[in-house]
Order: sequence, then structure tokens, then C-alpha cells
Amino acid sequence: MEFSLLGAAAIGVFGFWIMIRWEAKRGNAAGCAVDIWDTGLVAAIAGLFIGRIVSMIQTGVNPLTEPLQIMLVRSGVSTVAVVIGTLLVFSFLARNALVAAADGIAPAALMGLAGWYAGCLATGSCLGAESSLPWAVALPGSQITRHPVEIYAAIGMALASIALALWKQYGRPAPGSVAGLALLSASIIRLGTEPLRISLAGGPMLLYSAGVVAGAAMFVASIVSKRRTTKESTG
Amino acid sequence: MRRQIMLFAAFTLVVAACSSAPTGPLPDAPTPTTLDELNTMITTGDQPTVVNVWASWCLPCRSEAPLLAQATRVSPDVEFIALNVRDTEQNAREFMAEFYSEADMTHLSDRPGRIPIEMGATAGVPITFFYAADGQLVKMHLGIIDEPTLARFLDEIDR
Repeated sequence: MEFSLLGAAAIGVFGFWIMIRWEAKRGNAAGCAVDIWDTGLVAAIAGLFIGRIVSMIQTGVNPLTEPLQIMLVRSGVSTVAVVIGTLLVFSFLARNALVAAADGIAPAALMGLAGWYAGCLATGSCLGAESSLPWAVALPGSQITRHPVEIYAAIGMALASIALALWKQYGRPAPGSVAGLALLSASIIRLGTEPLRISLAGGPMLLYSAGVVAGAAMFVASIVSKRRTTKESTG
Repeated sequence: MRRQIMLFAAFTLVVAACSSAPTGPLPDAPTPTTLDELNTMITTGDQPTVVNVWASWCLPCRSEAPLLAQATRVSPDVEFIALNVRDTEQNAREFMAEFYSEADMTHLSDRPGRIPIEMGATAGVPITFFYAADGQLVKMHLGIIDEPTLARFLDEIDR
């Protein structure tokens, strides 16, 4: 039995928890009635199983005739379905205070993703395309040095998470802008690191591109909305 | 509540429609082999080789089979050998029809399941061995193999 994937998930959840705890002391999601820890965790788990079921259907395995296979997450999950499923479930659970909850969870979600990527150290799957850079690493017994691409992604997500948390604390961002920037930065990091990964079919570049556009649109819309509100209240 | 039950029933029907029950004649049974014959195949060919040990009763094997079938399509320079162990001929043929009908693989069988143990593995399945073109073992992966791991070790041996 192999538990390394569970270890990676635990590191991700730990990252999520650490950032929520850190932000809680600084008034994270003030006025938001939604418990972002519970909501985030439920949405992520639901999204994971939606992604697994979609992956089974894509590979021709019937989830009804082979229900136990849903538990074999290691066999593959559809990234697109995980992302869409998680966002939909989160939107449903936090529907009464969606913008505040999205801003509240954004830095913690990025830190959770950073932990998930850093979890490659547990699963032994950090390495990507061949590289001759000084920090490139070889697989045990191999001469070929490779980009530690998942560590790049983990560092990028962690830095984005900390920057957003600090901005929330000191910068008085417009409602929705933190969530928009989080989506934008996560998508850019995935897009930037994808060419360095090795995969059989290639990553879902369209999804990441859509994430860049959606994140940028959310950010701009939140800024415009805040300006309009400020103008109306002063005028 | 009634609407939710209707929606669930509709969803269930849609998912059930995705069934992949094999149709048409079953493929030939995998060829019985020995460790020496397998080693000869690995070392004499000038291609890198992947040996996947599987059984039809093994749930993780069923789960990773579509990924291996996909790998045969994207890595034509690699020879894929599927070694069926501790299985019945009928079940093995049904498994092959379900997952490997379009995969370019050599199908072998070792009914007692001794070969993987003699190769240094455990008695469990699935197991995947990755060999370089010179026949040197690069990686022995125990348990389900995921897509990034499979892609990385294919890249490692396919040079």
C-alpha cells in the first residue's frame, strides 16, 4: 500500500490551515458569515471526487459498475473537472457571501496549492523536463538532470499567497480583487510551469488561459465597482 | 426533494450510459512465458521496454490499464509487454478486450506468478518495470502508476 499521495494531500491541507490561522489573527474575511475552513475543505474534497469520476468516464471505466475505483485517485483525476467542480461547490456553499468568502479563502487556497505541489517531495514526482541549470536534479541512478518543476510551482504559489495576504492586511483591496488576483496568479504559475512538465497528453492549457482571463476580469471589475461606489458615496 | 431525486436518477442514467463493456470477439490468450524468454526479449531488442505485471482481478490494474494503453500510442519507440499473472485465461482475454484492444503491446502470461518475484519484485500487482534500450533496469514501480510518473520514466528510458 502506498500512502505518498495522502502525504502530499496532508501537506496541502496543512498549508491551507496555516494561512487561515495566520490570517485569522489579522481579521481575515471580516463580516463574512461563511466558515472558510469548512467550506474550502468540503469544496476541495467534492471537487477531487468529481474530477476522479470524470477521469474514469474519460478512460472508459463506468463509475456505477466499478464504484470502488472512485477511491483510486492515484489512477488519475481530470484537472479541469477538479477545478470547475471545486469552484462550483464552493460557490454553492458560500452563495450568501460569495465575494467576501472568495477573498477570505484566496490566500489560503494558494498556500494549500503550494503545499500540494511541495508534496511532490513525498510522492517523488518533483522533476520535469531535462535541464542543465545548476539546481537541476537527476532521478536516482540517472545521468539526466531535470527541472524541479513542482518546486517552482510551490514557491510561486507560496509567494503569491503571502503577497495577497499582506495586501489584504495593509492595502484595503476592493471586494473581489483578492480572489481575482489569486486566480490570475495561480493560472499564470501553472501556464508558466506547464512547458517544463512531462506528461503523456499535455496539460489543460485552455483551462489555465481561461483562468488568466477570468482572474484579470474579476480584478478589473472589482476595481471599477469600488471606484463607482466611492464616487456615488462622495457625490 | 422530488426534483433532486429526479435529477439524481437522470445523472445515474447518463453515467450508466458510459459503460465500456467489451463487444466483438475476444483477443487471443496471452502467450505463456518464462523468465529467460522475457529477459531475452528485454535485452536483445534495441528498444527500451516497459513490462507491466497485471491480473484481471486486481482493481488497481484495471484502473491504470487505460493509462498504459494511452502510453503505447504516444510512445511508439518503446516496447510494451503486459505480463498477466495468477489469472484465468478467460478473465485475462476479457480484460485485454476491454482495455488493450487498440494498444500495441506484447501479451504474455505467467500463471503461477513466479516471474515478477524472480525479477526482484513482490508478489503483489500491479508492478511496472522500466528498461533502457541496453536492457538495464531503470525503475521498478510497485503499485498503481500515475500519469506523471509513467511519463517521466518513459522519458528517462526513451533516449
